[in-house]
Amino acid sequence: MTTSEQTTAGPARDQFATPIVVSLLGGCAVAILIGVYAKLHHPTGFALDIAGFSSPLYAKAWLSTAAIVFAAVQLGTAARMRRPTAPAWLATVHRWSGRIAILLTVPVIIHCIYALGFQTYSLRVLVHSVLGCLFYGAFVAKMLSLGLVDRRAMPRWLLPVLGGVVLLSLIGVWATSALWLFTTKGLHS
Amino acid sequence: MARSGPLLTLGSVVALAAILLTVDLRISSAPSKASPVAAASPAGRVSPSASASASVAPVASAPLHALFAGRTSGDEFTVAIAINGAKAAADLNAGLSSQATLQGSVSGGQVTLTGGNGVGLTGSASSTAVFGLITAFGRTFPFSAEPAVVQAVYAGRSSGNEVTLAIDTEGDKAVAYVCNGKTVEAWLQGSVSGNQVTLTGNNGAGLTGSLSGLDLFGTVTPRTGQTFPFAAALSPHPAGVYQARIEVNGLATRIGWAVLPDGTQVGVAVEGTAKVPAPPLDLIDNGFTLDGASFTAALVAGQDTVVSP
Repeated sequence: MTTSEQTTAGPARDQFATPIVVSLLGGCAVAILIGVYAKLHHPTGFALDIAGFSSPLYAKAWLSTAAIVFAAVQLGTAARMRRPTAPAWLATVHRWSGRIAILLTVPVIIHCIYALGFQTYSLRVLVHSVLGCLFYGAFVAKMLSLGLVDRRAMPRWLLPVLGGVVLLSLIGVWATSALWLFTTKGLHS
Repeated sequence: MARSGPLLTLGSVVALAAILLTVDLRISSAPSKASPVAAASPAGRVSPSASASASVAPVASAPLHALFAGRTSGDEFTVAIAINGAKAAADLNAGLSSQATLQGSVSGGQVTLTGGNGVGLTGSASSTAVFGLITAFGRTFPFSAEPAVVQAVYAGRSSGNEVTLAIDTEGDKAVAYVCNGKTVEAWLQGSVSGNQVTLTGNNGAGLTGSLSGLDLFGTVTPRTGQTFPFAAALSPHPAGVYQARIEVNGLATRIGWAVLPDGTQVGVAVEGTAKVPAPPLDLIDNGFTLDGASFTAALVAGQDTVVSP
């Protein structure tokens, strides 16, 4: 039934193309803005110390690890909540785990772009910098899509693709920073 | 029709980011006002010490500070002439087996140098050339020499010993590193024009100085609000500006050392977020160890870029 609706709505979908384009371009703009600001801003080296951690580096690593845990919840709920038999609370869990995950990453990225900047001195650091920009760009694109595009006319691929990019780039960002830190410097607080 | 949920999420993320950025901006701008160096050295901002102020002797107008290199007209000799204010020296070279060193003075643009075995040099010097005659083996050889790019290191301290600094000049370019070995440090970049050295860096840092004889006097500002008079002298190896850019704990780390001719070294390592005293530098091979790993520092030349634009 959903499928037939999608196919018949085909020609009319054009009227919803603008919000989709706006959402995707908005995401691109945010990714580029973050990258350019992080590159041009002279790194201050300033660190906001968080109590209970051995260093700001470990505070960031554990915050992003917590975000990864919530991101795993995201994947589990996103894959199931469109099923007809899915309970209503599944969507709520998806939304709130996502909100918590993204808010956990905000102190981390602010420290990254303000104190350290967009760096390219090793492959790990370059990949980390690029994926960090991509992560926020994809997140903004997904939120704008959800907010601006009519759900019934939204292409079926849009949310899974954007969500997938958000999740994969977060995993990449985490693997090139927190995972690297834990494996080279030890798993402690 | 727009849905508010996702946009509220987006808005709250932006709001949190804005709050954190504002906090960062406030905290990072605070230290420069609080001036932690004042606590580290309560004697800061005193008047210039006797050695610094008394040594700035009045010098004849527009003294020359340059190295000139050239040849005699028949290519019998190559000649290198160093002029530093009222003093001058020259090296003559007529091949592998024959060379001579001459010393003398500069007065009113006239250079008069003498060496052993009746070798002499007289000439007129301007900022663009030296012309004259070389006397050797009972003959005279006309010569001309033009300014050469020369590297020179000036190293010294501020008058109250708040900071140590080393300046490397190369032709009309210059770089400097100034630090207190703990938390204050600045990389400076700029130019040499006549006997005036003018350098600038990030966060309001800067240096202005005058070359006088074999010394460089002036004031240095490691960062906004801290200005110290300093004296630096033309210094041989191992004096100089040393730098290492490495990765420590995953953070881009830049270490600078200002080294004095007696081997005294003062340095600061900026490890991503923190400024700590630099590890000791082995002045034989420029090596140092940090966290158990070995690295090599590089001697910085006046033409190098040390302050990213």
